[in-house]
Amino acid sequence: MKAYAALDDKYFPAQQIAASLIDLAANRGVDRNKLLRGTCIFYEDMREGTSLLCASQMLRLMANARQLMPGNDAAFQLGRRLFPGHYSQASNLLLQSQNLRDAFRLYSLVKMQLFPFVQTRLYRHEQCCFLLLDDAIGCGNEYQFVIETYCAALVSACRLLLGQRIPFHFDFPFPRPRYIQEFEENLGYRLRFSQPFLCIRFDQRYLHYACPQASQTLRWHALRQLHRSSQAPRLGFLEVIRQHIINDKNTNLQEIAAALVISPATLKRRLKQHGTSFMQLQDEVHRQQALYLLHVKGLNNEDIAAQMAFNDIPNFRRAFKRWTGSTPSQARLSWKLIDFSG
Amino acid sequence: MNYSLLPLHRTRICLVLCIALAAILLSLTQGQLKTWPEISWLDITGEGGVAVLTLVWLFFLFVSRPPGRVTDMLVVGLSCFMFSALLDLLDEFIRQENGHWLSVVESIPAPFGMIMMTWALYQWHQEQLTLNAQLRRREAQSRQHHQVDWVTRLYDADYLRAHLAKQLQVSHSLSVLMLDIDNFDQFNRRYGGQEGDRLLREMSELILMNIRQSDLACRYAGDRFIVLLPDTPRPAAITLAAQIKESIRHFAFKTRENGETVFHTLSSALVSAVNTDQVEPLLQRLNRQLELSRQGS
Repeated sequence: MKAYAALDDKYFPAQQIAASLIDLAANRGVDRNKLLRGTCIFYEDMREGTSLLCASQMLRLMANARQLMPGNDAAFQLGRRLFPGHYSQASNLLLQSQNLRDAFRLYSLVKMQLFPFVQTRLYRHEQCCFLLLDDAIGCGNEYQFVIETYCAALVSACRLLLGQRIPFHFDFPFPRPRYIQEFEENLGYRLRFSQPFLCIRFDQRYLHYACPQASQTLRWHALRQLHRSSQAPRLGFLEVIRQHIINDKNTNLQEIAAALVISPATLKRRLKQHGTSFMQLQDEVHRQQALYLLHVKGLNNEDIAAQMAFNDIPNFRRAFKRWTGSTPSQARLSWKLIDFSG
Repeated sequence: MNYSLLPLHRTRICLVLCIALAAILLSLTQGQLKTWPEISWLDITGEGGVAVLTLVWLFFLFVSRPPGRVTDMLVVGLSCFMFSALLDLLDEFIRQENGHWLSVVESIPAPFGMIMMTWALYQWHQEQLTLNAQLRRREAQSRQHHQVDWVTRLYDADYLRAHLAKQLQVSHSLSVLMLDIDNFDQFNRRYGGQEGDRLLREMSELILMNIRQSDLACRYAGDRFIVLLPDTPRPAAITLAAQIKESIRHFAFKTRENGETVFHTLSSALVSAVNTDQVEPLLQRLNRQLELSRQGS
């Protein structure tokens, strides 16, 4: 088994998210045959509970659901149903999280079975935690649907685990949608749109609130069971490559191809299949890093350039302009404007 | 498309098919087939188009209307029209002797059917007025079927925003009430989404029963409803909100699984609009107030 999963690798259990979405659509009066059109998912296989799906099938299903389901709340409703959901092994483990920090750690072990579309990285700065989200597998047009689902699932899962609402702050890169009421209903009112990067922020102290129902013994059991039975990959394809880029800023396509034991040509082809290229991914990663250092940590140009291993400041300024379309000082200014009004 | 009404129209569909068959048999037995050069294809396209379109109209009638007096009249009227149109079309294929009785009578059913359809349309108008009265409190002055929420059959947030914008201009003391079901998440998790949807549907009925004819109830998002109360001063709106909450508190919802009774309470927020209010800030105020009242309780 490979360590990572590409768009067309069949590894994730159908009865979890696909079944939830199909049930949800059926409750909204959507014809099942139309919903499954083009997805190569067969309802009969799904009832057996043995079939495995690949991410591209799921994305196609999401596209169909988005088109056929009335209303704008499909993604949010799906998110609310993901956890505890029907896929018992992964949910059983998560239900035994000791606290939120533990929950994030356990989630990274089972996320490919629960929701393999988003890559999350947790950073801490001063009193805040920052959860940065990225496309793990090449979601294309469904990325916003995926994001909405993930955010709704995060809010409802934390509420279930901790027995209380956590005040999450959401920064979305897309503009304020017309169906803002669904965001408010499902995610709360701490929302900002048209932001430089996708980020969820919350107070650090919530990481250590204990989950009331958690049991050490059951957690240990669930972990053991998972280790014994699981051969599923742990990471998405784009996630693996991002990881390489983060670890070594100056890495190149050849090195990554060698690390993944494929030829550079194959790597190029696979990246194209996931709707991106090496250059684009590299720029995305660096853009996110620079914006984080600039907006969140509030560093000046010299420090950011030093942290990102640039030789001189003009070089950094030029690169920053290429990634974001504006110079660092312009970006600082626009962030302040947003902060005052929001 | 939804074909669930078709089985209810079995006899009417049979009637239409019999009439069509009768037209074909009549003209076949009363004349001889024309030869190819005698056939005028232009006439056939024109007359055939009329016959086919009548059948299409009949089909839409069957899939969209439940059986009833008005439906019967429309079906009979359209069938008469179709009978004439079919005979007219078959004329192009089959020659009858000059002055044959069939060519004399073939046009008689058409005007008869048209008169019947006209009468049926007048009846339809009456029926629509009755339905409009039934829709009171669900619908304001405009009808936008694409903005109806699938679960509760109330209008959705988009319709609400549009109507609120209108009301803010004309109504003097408009009050806006937001209602939210407490612990709806827990209910959903325990009894499933389908039961959650049913609860929403029944709650919306109950809310409708408790508001006045001039009010409008919409589903805003999730388990959140908004009621527009035009020309309602704040004290009256507070009384009305209390009445709705009281009636929901006594509403004994029975779950499908084992008929267990589940009671619910509502949280509410009330905003009275002032002259300069805009839609979005007003909704934001309403949301904020609801959150405050929830934290307080």
